[in-house]
Amino acid sequence: MTQTEARLNRKGVPAWGTLTGRWAAIAVALLPLLVFMCVFFFAPLLDVFVSSFQDNNGAFSLLNYADVFKEPILTAMRTSLGLAFCSALVSAVPGAILAFLIESRGSERLRQIIASISGVLANTGGVPLAFMFVAALGLEGSATGFLKLIGIDIYGAGFSLYTFWGLVVVYAYFQIPLMVIVFSPAIHGLRREWNEAAKTLGANGAQFWRYIGVPLLFPSFLSAFLLLFASAFSAYATARAMTNGTIALVPLMIGNLLDGNVIFDEVNLAKALAVAMVVVTLVAMIPYLIIQRRAERWQR
Amino acid sequence: MKFLSPRQLPLTIGLLVAAIFVFFPLISAGEFSLREPLKQTHGFDNYVWFFTAPDFGKYLGISFGLAVLSALILLVILVPTVIWLNLGGARFRGFVEFISLLPLVIPVVALAIGAQTALPDFAQTNEVILAFMFAVLAMPYAYRTLDTGLRSIPLKTIVEAARGLGASWFHTIVRVVIPVVRSTVTSALFMTLALSLGEFTLTSLLHWDTFTTWVTTMSQSNILGAISLSVFSLVAVFVLLLAISIFIRPTSNTVAQEEN
Repeated sequence: MTQTEARLNRKGVPAWGTLTGRWAAIAVALLPLLVFMCVFFFAPLLDVFVSSFQDNNGAFSLLNYADVFKEPILTAMRTSLGLAFCSALVSAVPGAILAFLIESRGSERLRQIIASISGVLANTGGVPLAFMFVAALGLEGSATGFLKLIGIDIYGAGFSLYTFWGLVVVYAYFQIPLMVIVFSPAIHGLRREWNEAAKTLGANGAQFWRYIGVPLLFPSFLSAFLLLFASAFSAYATARAMTNGTIALVPLMIGNLLDGNVIFDEVNLAKALAVAMVVVTLVAMIPYLIIQRRAERWQR
Repeated sequence: MKFLSPRQLPLTIGLLVAAIFVFFPLISAGEFSLREPLKQTHGFDNYVWFFTAPDFGKYLGISFGLAVLSALILLVILVPTVIWLNLGGARFRGFVEFISLLPLVIPVVALAIGAQTALPDFAQTNEVILAFMFAVLAMPYAYRTLDTGLRSIPLKTIVEAARGLGASWFHTIVRVVIPVVRSTVTSALFMTLALSLGEFTLTSLLHWDTFTTWVTTMSQSNILGAISLSVFSLVAVFVLLLAISIFIRPTSNTVAQEEN
């Protein structure tokens, strides 16, 4: 028995103990995943990245990126960022309040039920959700009609489902449950003892929140907000099915560049736009992942 | 009335508002889908229409086939990886976690453009490719679920016992480990199924036709029909996922509690 084997066997690891066994394990367990991700994930993304720096003849060019900062793309970018921001804000605040109420006052059973329902709702979206809202809050929708009947004329007040704020309302349908899912563990992690300790030391409720609760929860709130931001920013199906292109959004614009009867050189422009989208989501998601990881430390 | 006490009242109000926000659109859409404008009544005409539409079965079949295939692909790839991470490969945990969470970060639209040109040739001519792409999209959720499930059981003991009694690795995984974490595996499976069934972005940008794109196409000729289809599929998915999460989670918890 070699020294390596002896060491590994003392730790009680069977089969991977021998050196060949370990390589075999890597080949069976890790390699398929890596190959799969390379072919179906990294290769397409690499292609997007490389071609975004090329003109039609395959020569290096920065022109695609110059177009990203010109109209009409600039407006679309601004609208998309604004939509993502408003949607995240409008959903994060009620989501956080709901999560707080449920975590602090709800029974164990209620928390489980809410977790299940939120999980389901956060995964809705796309075409069915869009059509559901058209039927409910569209111009002829039955919720619109019902509200009118009780004296609230939402279209008379200037609301329309097929606008920026209409999308914010529709996105809230899956964003608020997403917020509840992501934010609840943070509130759950606030230990009752901390509150009791603060009270014993003479703090009142407001002081506890001012100096302990809010500072502890704020990073989690921010990270959840960023996740919602990224999710609204990259949403495609719902916006596409609902607005039919009446609002200029970056994902829809990419779709149009690929779908329509466009000249070939716009494909690489679409790729530059896609890279810009990836950059935005990375900027939002990297802090999210870092904060989540830090928060996990005190949430156990 | 406990839920009206000063302490519980805010929660009651919050839940009430949330319930209105969730059910009001769903119920109104339900009413809308039952309208029959020509006859000025309500009825199931729109539902009958899509159930008898010639392509309904065909596209539902395609979508289900792709969903099942993508779930199988994910399980075949991920189960050995996650088991290995929880046994000998712990050093690679951070790396694998990073790779499998990445699809969450990248907008699907961006992936779709690349997929149009960068996929191998066989993939460009066969819609089975969608199953592989759906598997990529579901990877973060499936990885998390499987990892949480396998962490909550004494995996090493179970595997050592099976191996010690002479089972091959294949048998250990298929006959011993998977049955122990079957609730986790089932929920990973159904999450992938639900995601694949509702996928629209990749499908439409890669110019394939599945159930979801068929619904959008139909909406141009019969919006009421498309709405009833949407209500139908939303309710179906809600019921399916809720049933899974309610019936499955408790068992996985008891396993964890009994054995930890």
